[in-house]
Amino acid sequence: MNAVHLHLLLNHIPTVGFGIALVLFVSALVGKSSDLQRAALAIFFVTAAVTLLTYVSGSDAQAAVANSPGVSTALIDAHETAALLAFAFMQATAFFSWLGLWTWRRIGRVVAWNRTAILILAVVTFGLMARAANLGGEIRHVEIRTVLDSGAPAADAPPGERLTLARSWGRFVEEHAWVWPTCEILHFVGLCLLFGAALVVDLRILGVGKRLPLAALYQLLPVGVLGFSLNLATGMVFFVAMPRQYIGFLFLLKMALVVLAAANLLYFTLAEDVWTAGERDHMPITARLAAASAILIWIGVLFCGRMLPALGNSF
Amino acid sequence: MMHLLLRVEQTGICQWIRSTDSIFGYYGILTVHAIGMGIVVGISACVDLRILGFAPALPLRPMEQFLPVLWLGFWMNAASGTLLLATDATHKLANPDFYVKMMFIALALGCLRLLEARVFRDPRADTAPASTQARMLAVASLACWLGAIIAGRLLAYQAAM
Repeated sequence: MNAVHLHLLLNHIPTVGFGIALVLFVSALVGKSSDLQRAALAIFFVTAAVTLLTYVSGSDAQAAVANSPGVSTALIDAHETAALLAFAFMQATAFFSWLGLWTWRRIGRVVAWNRTAILILAVVTFGLMARAANLGGEIRHVEIRTVLDSGAPAADAPPGERLTLARSWGRFVEEHAWVWPTCEILHFVGLCLLFGAALVVDLRILGVGKRLPLAALYQLLPVGVLGFSLNLATGMVFFVAMPRQYIGFLFLLKMALVVLAAANLLYFTLAEDVWTAGERDHMPITARLAAASAILIWIGVLFCGRMLPALGNSF
Repeated sequence: MMHLLLRVEQTGICQWIRSTDSIFGYYGILTVHAIGMGIVVGISACVDLRILGFAPALPLRPMEQFLPVLWLGFWMNAASGTLLLATDATHKLANPDFYVKMMFIALALGCLRLLEARVFRDPRADTAPASTQARMLAVASLACWLGAIIAGRLLAYQAAM
């Protein structure tokens, strides 16, 4: 199995997942059901996390089909640009969905502006995502191509030469030497915020610093999430500028570990018993396992990232 | 002096670190260094942000119990940093950026020591809002860690060139 298989395996999850979550979210708003609303927010979040793998495996899938007969590079480029836009809106939806889940546990509801932001972002994302998925399907499925873009291979640019959104960005990064180091510095800052907050929360759950009340520690989660958001943004700067540098097992492993970490965060965001436990209360074994695995997952992410220049082909 | 540094660079262990494909070689040590950074700067930043008003319900004084973890990260990085320095001593020690990084780390640890004395040992730390002095120390600590990260990243680019 390689990244191409992964892309084919996961390519319906973004559209289907967001479709289901959007229907649930609108039903929850109409029916005023807070349980349904939380379920919808959780599905938005999980779908966006898995979509990270769908997005980064696309680069290998592109390389695999770009030179096949009957495949239009114009279509591939259009799919890539549509997917990048959809991905950005999807991650924004996921951020506000997580914020909604976090505030729900604190104050028992999702505040109105956040609900509105999620609804607007989710509708826009779903539209962009459906378009990206359809363009992606057209690459190999002649039967769904519209008449307009079915022909004219003669007008097709050679692979990798059309100036798409991603390639313009790549060119900008190449021409401005400060962009890459600046984003790497920010990537390290994000790493510290993320790892620090995760370490304090997870070690406390494992029994370090027992005088710290867990209910108050819940307030530290946004520090970690902000660090992660910074790293997702700067990481995308690297990936979009030089996608061919981030291929191979180690990078996919790093992304898969990030998806696991997202699932871990969701567990802690939704869990009740973890945050209500007192100093002397027994911590449930699931919470301990989740905390220990979170630390190991983040160490794994750091390991994969730091080893990329040695075992992969990036710098 | 240069002769001595060259001798250090040419020792068996330093040659092995530079040339091996083992995950315990150069990049493995860099990985340990990155994890140590995450521990030290991460925990320090949590304390600083708390002093500056994030997570206000979190009591400050018990956060002292995380300082041993922070110091574990520090010693991880002192050890891995020494190895990284030894493998490239002639270049690193001739680079002003290296001393800038060390200065920022020393200042950040100084801030931490002062916070320990003035905030963690202050019985009123959790009842009264943080003093201006504590806030200044927290800002200085964040700024010094940021400076150390910037200097460290730039040092890595110069080593690669």
